[in-house]
Amino acid sequence: MASSRSRVIQLYKNLLYLGRDYPKGYDYFRTRLKSAFMKNNDVTGPAQIEMLLARGQYIIKELEALYLLKKYRALKKRYSSEQ
Amino acid sequence: MAMNNASRIIGAGLKNHLKFSSVRVFAPRISSVAFSQSNSLHGKKWKHSILAESSILCRTNLVSQSLASVRSFSEKPPLTLEMIRDRVLLVLKLYDKIDSEKLTLDSHFMTDMGLDSLDHVEVVMAMEDEFGFEIPDSDAERLLRPNDIIRYVADKEDVYE
Repeated sequence: MASSRSRVIQLYKNLLYLGRDYPKGYDYFRTRLKSAFMKNNDVTGPAQIEMLLARGQYIIKELEALYLLKKYRALKKRYSSEQ
Repeated sequence: MAMNNASRIIGAGLKNHLKFSSVRVFAPRISSVAFSQSNSLHGKKWKHSILAESSILCRTNLVSQSLASVRSFSEKPPLTLEMIRDRVLLVLKLYDKIDSEKLTLDSHFMTDMGLDSLDHVEVVMAMEDEFGFEIPDSDAERLLRPNDIIRYVADKEDVYE
């Protein structure tokens, strides 16, 4: 398994890619993501890092769900007539 | 190569559009007749279909116009070292956390320009977007100066002089 440093960087990169379509804008997402990572930059315990990485994966899942929902709502709005 | 494929897809799309609109060409006439006959109950619906028809025609027009302005290159334009250098420096200048006065080809991202490792990830992602290929993490952590990036891109794109 890769070192936790490279895994954290990988997580940051994945989250940044996902943030490009964030409804409130990429810049908003980027600054929030940065501060969320910086908040934990003094964490050293392996178990704690593992926990935070798992939380990052959870955020990724949430973002994907958010985009699916956004797409679903947009399609529904487009193709259903309001009566 | 990708460009070629894209233009082929657009071409196919255009063909479909043309077929579609030539099939539907009678529809407005029928619907307008029906519209003049129809009473107020159905009037709204017919008007709607006429609108839809005209938007399809508009779109075909748009597609053919945009096709005329697209030039199909079989390959991207050849890179030179100066071009790579200018593009790298431009991307770095546009990045908001880099002070463009401190920026030189040999300045270290972290010690000279005060970026942290997360900012560095963003810089590398910007380079991936600019040059259109992925930079693996193991390579990314060695790209610590603008010069390193220029040399790396030149190696990847087979630019040697």
